[in-house]
Amino acid sequence: MWNLARKILLHDRIKFAVAAAGVSISVMLVLVQIGLYLGFMQNASNLIDHSHADVWVMGEGNENFDFAGPIDERAYYKVASTPGVARAERMILAFGQYRLADGGQQGVQVVGLEPGGRLLTPWHVVAGDPARIHEPGKIAVDTSEFGKLKIDAIGARREISGARAEVVALTKGIRSFTTSPFVFTNLDSARAYTNFPADKLTYVLVQAEPGVDPAALARDLDALPHLDAYTTPQLSIRARHYWSSRTGVGAGFFTTAALGIIVGLVVVGQILYNGTLEHLREYGTLKAMGARNSAIVRVILYQAIISAVVGFVFGGGLAVLSRLAMTKANLTVLLTPNLVAVTAVLTLVMCCAASMLSVIKVLRLDPASVFKG
Amino acid sequence: MTHSSSAPLASLARIGKTYGDGDTEVVALADADLSINPGEILLIEGPSGSGKTTLISILGLLLKPSRGSVFVGGRDVTALPERALPKIRAETFGFVFQGFNLFPALTALENVALAIRMKGGRHPEHEARRLLAAVGLETRMHHLPANLSGGQKQRVAIARALGGNPPIILGDEPTAALDTKTALGVMDLLRTLATEQGRAVVVVTHDPRLERFADRVARVEDGRVIAIDTLAHAA
Repeated sequence: MWNLARKILLHDRIKFAVAAAGVSISVMLVLVQIGLYLGFMQNASNLIDHSHADVWVMGEGNENFDFAGPIDERAYYKVASTPGVARAERMILAFGQYRLADGGQQGVQVVGLEPGGRLLTPWHVVAGDPARIHEPGKIAVDTSEFGKLKIDAIGARREISGARAEVVALTKGIRSFTTSPFVFTNLDSARAYTNFPADKLTYVLVQAEPGVDPAALARDLDALPHLDAYTTPQLSIRARHYWSSRTGVGAGFFTTAALGIIVGLVVVGQILYNGTLEHLREYGTLKAMGARNSAIVRVILYQAIISAVVGFVFGGGLAVLSRLAMTKANLTVLLTPNLVAVTAVLTLVMCCAASMLSVIKVLRLDPASVFKG
Repeated sequence: MTHSSSAPLASLARIGKTYGDGDTEVVALADADLSINPGEILLIEGPSGSGKTTLISILGLLLKPSRGSVFVGGRDVTALPERALPKIRAETFGFVFQGFNLFPALTALENVALAIRMKGGRHPEHEARRLLAAVGLETRMHHLPANLSGGQKQRVAIARALGGNPPIILGDEPTAALDTKTALGVMDLLRTLATEQGRAVVVVTHDPRLERFADRVARVEDGRVIAIDTLAHAA
């Protein structure tokens, strides 16, 4: 029956090509849009997810991870002395102005880290020594940001907010959600680059003592005055949720993906319905001769499934090509196995749903109609 | 030529069919009686709009009569629910149409096998080959309908109608689209099926040339079967 469904579907190759193109575009839109969204969300919680902290402490009421307000350095000591805390490290996250070689300016997101800190360090290091960022005026940047920073190698010397900065280490694939390049450095340099007051910081990263539940520790730390505390997974979700829901970014991507599905539905539905109309007399003849409705419906559903499989393969290929092109434009399209699997199921459901008009037409087809000329 | 001594394979008793009601009521058929015997060819003749199609549709269980009874194999099937009819149709009737109604994307073999498979038949490919050979198309099995002549297409349609071994073949103007030689060839095939296999063949037609193959002719006019003539050569 599969073979027969395939032959009926492929008989008019141009129509089939249009149907397959419709599904392919739909699949590509879904994969690329959701992949881009996942890529952005990955960037939104990049620092959090790559930390070794159990709990993050910050100023009370901060909604956005990237724009958190400063807290007093005394908070660090309160946190460090809280029972259950094995280790606490200070961190500054703020924006500075990077002076380009041609005299222009580029906003950067400065990450100031505790000297000798272990809870957050630059990762995916591809060149240089990341430990050297704890020397005054030394920084680590990502190779993907070379274009924005207008540098092309380790050792480049620039200024950030008027203070000297020398690139001593390079990472690969660390991007921020804000699109301002991350600059990893030590706490003192970070203060200089961001005009941060000497007794202020942004976060305290906490490692719990062995056997201490991070969630319970977070609750204890959250009880400290003027501070909020979240476990690392909680903060990761919070950071993603802010950008996704508070800014409309999520709605934008998902709306485009939904439009892709609608395009696929309409194109496949139209092609399958036309094909069914063209073969109505043949289906009617089969019904007249006693063919069960389920058998005829199966032929139509098989055609929908074949369209889905072909469209998914081509659409998936297009999505991979798009990912390659977008990587060159510094955009991350995360095509995770889960996303691919869900999109495959979605494509099948979409094509089967698109065939429903045809199925209804055939179910309602009066076999006596074949006698009516 | 008929097996007239056998019980009818199917029959219609005082069948009436009306469409619409009140001022818009149209009587398509009134008090029609007809029996279908094994091994005979019965032609249903009459002018356009006379009720021929309604008659054959009711006989083929594709249309419910407004009045009267339909018997298949001696059993009154008039009041059976719609869902029970496909199985009876599959076991009892094969249909042949003027326009062939073959899937253009499928070969002759696939068209026949598809119908057998959809009727729930076993070994559809093997059975389709046997039926196509029986209608003289053993060398054209793998051809698409577009590559077959009109007569060959109608032979494929006849082979398809024979799928599931139904005792009655119903034809709606099966020769209307064919030239004389081809039409006579198709009727010759139907005659053979009736004579040698004992099937009943009921053909709606305008074409008097077909009478030479028939045993009886039912003449329909204004929704009434006005005469059923047994032809001299069949007597």
